[in-house]
Amino acid sequence: MTEDRFEERLRQAAQDYHRPPATPREELWDRIAAARQRRGIVIRPALRWGVGIAAVLALGIAIGRWSARGGESSTLPAVAAGTDQGSTLAYRVAAAQYLTRTEALLTGFRAEARSPSVPAAQFATQARDLLATTRLMLDSPAAKDARLKSLLEDLELVLAQIAQLPSGGSGDREDVQSINQGLDQRSVLLRLRTANPAGPGPVRTQGAL
Amino acid sequence: MDERELIARVRAGDGAAERALYDAHVDRVYRLTYRLAGDDELAREFTQDTFVRAFERLGGFRGEAKLSTWLHAIATSVVLNGLRKVKRFRQRETDLDEAATTSAGGRAAEPDLKRRLAQAIDGLPDGYRMVFVMHDVEGFTHDEIGATLGIETGTSKAQLSRARAKLRDALADFAGEWVS
Repeated sequence: MTEDRFEERLRQAAQDYHRPPATPREELWDRIAAARQRRGIVIRPALRWGVGIAAVLALGIAIGRWSARGGESSTLPAVAAGTDQGSTLAYRVAAAQYLTRTEALLTGFRAEARSPSVPAAQFATQARDLLATTRLMLDSPAAKDARLKSLLEDLELVLAQIAQLPSGGSGDREDVQSINQGLDQRSVLLRLRTANPAGPGPVRTQGAL
Repeated sequence: MDERELIARVRAGDGAAERALYDAHVDRVYRLTYRLAGDDELAREFTQDTFVRAFERLGGFRGEAKLSTWLHAIATSVVLNGLRKVKRFRQRETDLDEAATTSAGGRAAEPDLKRRLAQAIDGLPDGYRMVFVMHDVEGFTHDEIGATLGIETGTSKAQLSRARAKLRDALADFAGEWVS
């Protein structure tokens, strides 16, 4: 038998080697979705940001509380002082990112409010993500500052209103105008920018934070 | 929608794009994993792992290779590691010499040839078997195999040649049958 003929017959015969059945597409897709859910990797990009900030913020709060308790003890002064610095930094970074993101959302919302059709679903999704972080902020050391607490409460109200815009398409004009008027009347954007001055990372924390 | 746009949409969290990517590639991935695993449940598990990892790592895909090549690289890695873990590979492995001895002397019926061939392929070293299955069974080109397995095209050709030589030895007593 020539080599070519052998190879040809070999290829033919090998087609039966572990011959696969039809691909079980739907079953496989369901398995993949379930596996991804178990691994917790199906997170929308916008939510990913919110989860990250919330995690840093929660960590800052937790460290802050722990170090506050530790501060009362005279046994670990150095650790308490070090942890307090870490807590402050983590908190400031998270808070600055939160305020920057909120400012971007509200600025975009105001700009879009002038157009005939507002992409309500997109704003509502981002607002929902930020709303969770706002509540964490209100539970953080930030709420001890009366000025920042007042701002956070206003932001909570505005974000809740945006989050409730109908997700089916463009937002209702009256709802959008009402939110916009609230922003103006309470000078929310101005106070937000004062609390979080523009600039690179650490500089931003020099406002209310 | 071209591949680049599809990838961008998947990265942006578009569920429909994820499904489109899956639909475009699942058949070939499943076929390859089934051919290499020889077991439906393992093939399903390997296909699942391949796509889970792919979706997880797509952010790091730089587009230097085709998406299919990148996916097949993940699949072959998953299969090799998976088979090693469950020790199925070793259980299936049949020494080529032993395979040649067991049927010596008997006239080769077609079903016996297929069984012997399957045993002989199972008994090939990992690299030879991978290249043989990809090229001679699933129709990959040497360029595709090289990119998928991270080897030179020439190495792929050499491994295929050696795999065929081993199979030729293992099936020597069928030579007359094949000539006729």
